[in-house]
Amino acid sequence: MTEAATTEAATGAVTAKAVTAEAATAELVPDEVMLLRFGAVTRNTHRIHYDTAFARSEGLAGPVVMAQLHGCLLHRAAAAHAGPAGRVREVSWQNRAPAHPGDRLTVTSTVRDTDPVSGEITLDLVEHRTDGAVCCRGHAVVVPDRTRD
Amino acid sequence: MLDVAEERAQAAMGRWEARSLGVVRAEAAAEFARAAGDSAPALVDPADPAFVVHPMYLVSLLRPEPGAEPGELRPDGMYRDEVPGTDGLDVRLMAGGQAVRWVGEVRVGDRVEVRRAVTAVDRKRPDLLLITVEKTYAAERGPLIEVTERFIVR
Repeated sequence: MTEAATTEAATGAVTAKAVTAEAATAELVPDEVMLLRFGAVTRNTHRIHYDTAFARSEGLAGPVVMAQLHGCLLHRAAAAHAGPAGRVREVSWQNRAPAHPGDRLTVTSTVRDTDPVSGEITLDLVEHRTDGAVCCRGHAVVVPDRTRD
Repeated sequence: MLDVAEERAQAAMGRWEARSLGVVRAEAAAEFARAAGDSAPALVDPADPAFVVHPMYLVSLLRPEPGAEPGELRPDGMYRDEVPGTDGLDVRLMAGGQAVRWVGEVRVGDRVEVRRAVTAVDRKRPDLLLITVEKTYAAERGPLIEVTERFIVR
């Protein structure tokens, strides 16, 4: 497998690695600051994301990462697979377990199939947290960057 | 409480509601991308020639500028109308998952409206209700994004 691109953000310890063969990964280590920023820009004021006592009263271990932030990481993994001139046509996922600030979230994408006519690739996506638990499971459909062929 | 939520959600099935998400601003989309941990100039720098609106921006945005009135919020901080059928009920709300399909390109300057309707209500267990909502985000020139979103109500 050939690594095609690696990006690193200044905050949130995010990485995305694109590969041209079976798998691509994206990682994120959201912390409390990231949850606050993300909640602010999306106007998500649900207390399970920042109020520890409230989150525990809801049966959670503590504040949890927003579903939309999981979605961003899943999209990032799919986009890494699509390549710079490709695009993501669809991302879907089910939330299986909560993630908390400090968890290292890793999304692995693997090719399920490729449409021989359109070239669209269907990817299976799995997001794990630090302890190995599956946080999200889903799939994506990408229109790949044909210039990489 | 779940019986009431289920009854209300069932009654809301197929009834489409619309809400404005305002006009897409480059700076707001870039701020979203930065908050999500992205660093690609095309996502975080509105001055970049290749700048595009982050594909997850609109579907992550719960309210447009200037934000909600205090009366729009539940005690748990969620919006009263975010999960159909649960307004005023002491229930726990969680996101169950989403399917996001991009059918058009979101552009800076787009005036976006989101329409939504409950499409399924499933009492999985006596203590767990699953509500499925379909959403369509559209600009004046046509549809942009279709979303299927599932909420867990306990």
